[in-house]
Amino acid sequence: MAMRRLPLPAALLLLTLSGVYAQEPPSGSTLAGAAMTPLPALGGERVSSGSAFNPDISVIIDTVYLNEFSGHVGTPAGFGGGHDHGHDHGHDHDHGHGLEEGFNFRSAELTFTASVDHYFDALLTLHLDEDHVEVEEAYITTRNLPAGLQIKAGKFLSDIGYINAQHTHDWAFVDRPLVNEYLFGDHGLQEKGVQLTWTPKTAFYSVFGLELLQGETTGIASYEGHGEGKPFSDKSGPRLITGFAKLAPDLGHNHAAQFGLSYGHARAFQLSDFNDHGDHSHRLSWDGNAWFAGVDAVYKYDAGRSFGHGDWVVQGEYYRREIDVDFRNNQRPPVSDIARQDGLYVQTVYGIAPRWQFGVRADALGMTNRNTLQWMGHGHQGYESFGTSYRYAANLTFRPTEFSLLRAQVNRTDFADEDDHDEDGWAVMLQFQVALGVHGAHRF
Amino acid sequence: MHKWLAGLLLMCLAVTAQASLQVVATTSAMGMLAQTVGGDAVTVRVLASPDRDAHYLQARPSMMAALRGADLVVAVGADLEVGWLPAAIQGAANPALNPGRPGYFEAAAQVALIDVGGPADRSLGDVHPAGNPHVNMDPVRMAEVAHALAERLSLLVPEDAARFRANAEAFADKVEARLPAWQARVSGAPGVVFYHKDADYLALRLGVPVLGYVEPVPGVPPTARHLRDLVRDLTGRDGIVIRAVHHAERGPRFVAQQLDWPLHALPLDPPLGADAEAYLALIDQWVEAMAGNAR
Repeated sequence: MAMRRLPLPAALLLLTLSGVYAQEPPSGSTLAGAAMTPLPALGGERVSSGSAFNPDISVIIDTVYLNEFSGHVGTPAGFGGGHDHGHDHGHDHDHGHGLEEGFNFRSAELTFTASVDHYFDALLTLHLDEDHVEVEEAYITTRNLPAGLQIKAGKFLSDIGYINAQHTHDWAFVDRPLVNEYLFGDHGLQEKGVQLTWTPKTAFYSVFGLELLQGETTGIASYEGHGEGKPFSDKSGPRLITGFAKLAPDLGHNHAAQFGLSYGHARAFQLSDFNDHGDHSHRLSWDGNAWFAGVDAVYKYDAGRSFGHGDWVVQGEYYRREIDVDFRNNQRPPVSDIARQDGLYVQTVYGIAPRWQFGVRADALGMTNRNTLQWMGHGHQGYESFGTSYRYAANLTFRPTEFSLLRAQVNRTDFADEDDHDEDGWAVMLQFQVALGVHGAHRF
Repeated sequence: MHKWLAGLLLMCLAVTAQASLQVVATTSAMGMLAQTVGGDAVTVRVLASPDRDAHYLQARPSMMAALRGADLVVAVGADLEVGWLPAAIQGAANPALNPGRPGYFEAAAQVALIDVGGPADRSLGDVHPAGNPHVNMDPVRMAEVAHALAERLSLLVPEDAARFRANAEAFADKVEARLPAWQARVSGAPGVVFYHKDADYLALRLGVPVLGYVEPVPGVPPTARHLRDLVRDLTGRDGIVIRAVHHAERGPRFVAQQLDWPLHALPLDPPLGADAEAYLALIDQWVEAMAGNAR
């Protein structure tokens, strides 16, 4: 047998990878070597429309029409830095989701999935807009680890909280909750790294996870490193570690609920805003570390009527982050302090008729909102507390089939600005989304 | 080194050893079959409530908890549960249930399917190019599935193999015993309009003509035009309208009223915890409904 010729370490590695053999039922054990050979596919295993050997492919096309019909809001106070659009200061064009007024081709999301071999599954999701291709997710997951363990490695959306790991097309609203966008980033907490989860064998569902991540997400683990006159030192990855737990009691066929806790620590938070031109010349930098913690809850009711009629979903998440940094304003001595900020959203969706859903959502950002002033001209160089920003949304979704949706959403935005004023705005969004290709399975 | 491996194997087996084989069935019909064939060597849990449409469930955490501890999952298959079962198995982190392993069993993969190889074009509705998955509505195919399931259970619990095979045989005998009566009952039946293609297997088995469907294409609720066309095409004929309990009543009621045909609402799956008798009683109900006034 080939195994005999393998050196012991290699054999042990194989054994680890194929932990499932140890779980093999006693069935074939009377046959010589049966326990070491994968069982041949039993005749007529599975009938499926997935095509042989080609990865399953799905395409999701997402178009949005936006009209800010009253007022215009910029970035919420206290969240100018630590955010991709921070360098747009003064002209906050696209507050967050990158939508322009009028018609938007938001994305085409191209997903390939397949089993790599006996040991791994893989997924690749490309996010295409008109000019760019981005790798949204590209990871492998293990198929055969014993004891409820799974490893995911690659680039992925972190499984902290509830909405973070969901793609745009899984959302019940056109846009991302403010807390996810501003405490983490435009794509949420999306990182390269490795994740270990453990699903114990319990009467109710629970999963515990640990993630070692590179640490590049602007809102919690911004990293720039040494170079170009930046006052930072290099820190090798992984720079961000997160942990999460999700618990779900068994509530029978009609009800389901899941509660989660998450935490993360970034050992580097490096952010700079250098502008050496014109009147607004400034050199700002933040250097330190950061952590976040959050709770999330979701409840779903299945009314058992056709096409989602009468179904409820209620979900909410709260996060808090603290960034402990040395703040440097030009050549003045650094100020060491802690920026403390938080945010939450609560949303509910109800199936008002077969295929029709009505949803409302409330966002609050910065109930605690202590951060550095972002822009000069204020005569300050330290930390200040800002007001809370709010956003309210209501929408109506029509799903002709599982593969298409039309959605109309109204947003009422009430953001605090850095001068302690309110910025109000109303916007309407129309969304049209279609899914082509294989029938995807949705996670809870 | 072989001793090491054997030792590890034994240890893991000892840890996972359980009094009975834990079986998770997606629907209550599959649960009935697993219980009937497995007898008291198995403990069965059913994921989908029988009054739900198994196409449109969501992967709930409680399903993952059930699958986490399962030795065998018994699905209808042919993509019926494609929207939720793969996600639930993935979330359960239980490699024994991966498709291709002995712990994954699909009924539709054990029998010949109808409507195989239709165009994979969703303008024709939520089609299943792999074939019509609703094999649970054909008792004869269910008997074939019972035999296949007995073989699978024998693989997992070899010492009970004879019992599993005998149980499957007994189920097949029961079906065979009732078949002539069912066929006699519906002989001369005028034909049926179903809501969805979910009872085609039964109609085909008993030779009852299927005259049409209330939904215009699979997975799309009836449109006014489709209902008008259906009524126009069937005016002057005799027939019966049957919908599954989870389908909306309006469309089928309209067709039945316009044509002056009887309307029945019947479950597609037996109650939770049903035994073979309860399943056969469900088929009796469908046969009785399809028979109409035929004598």
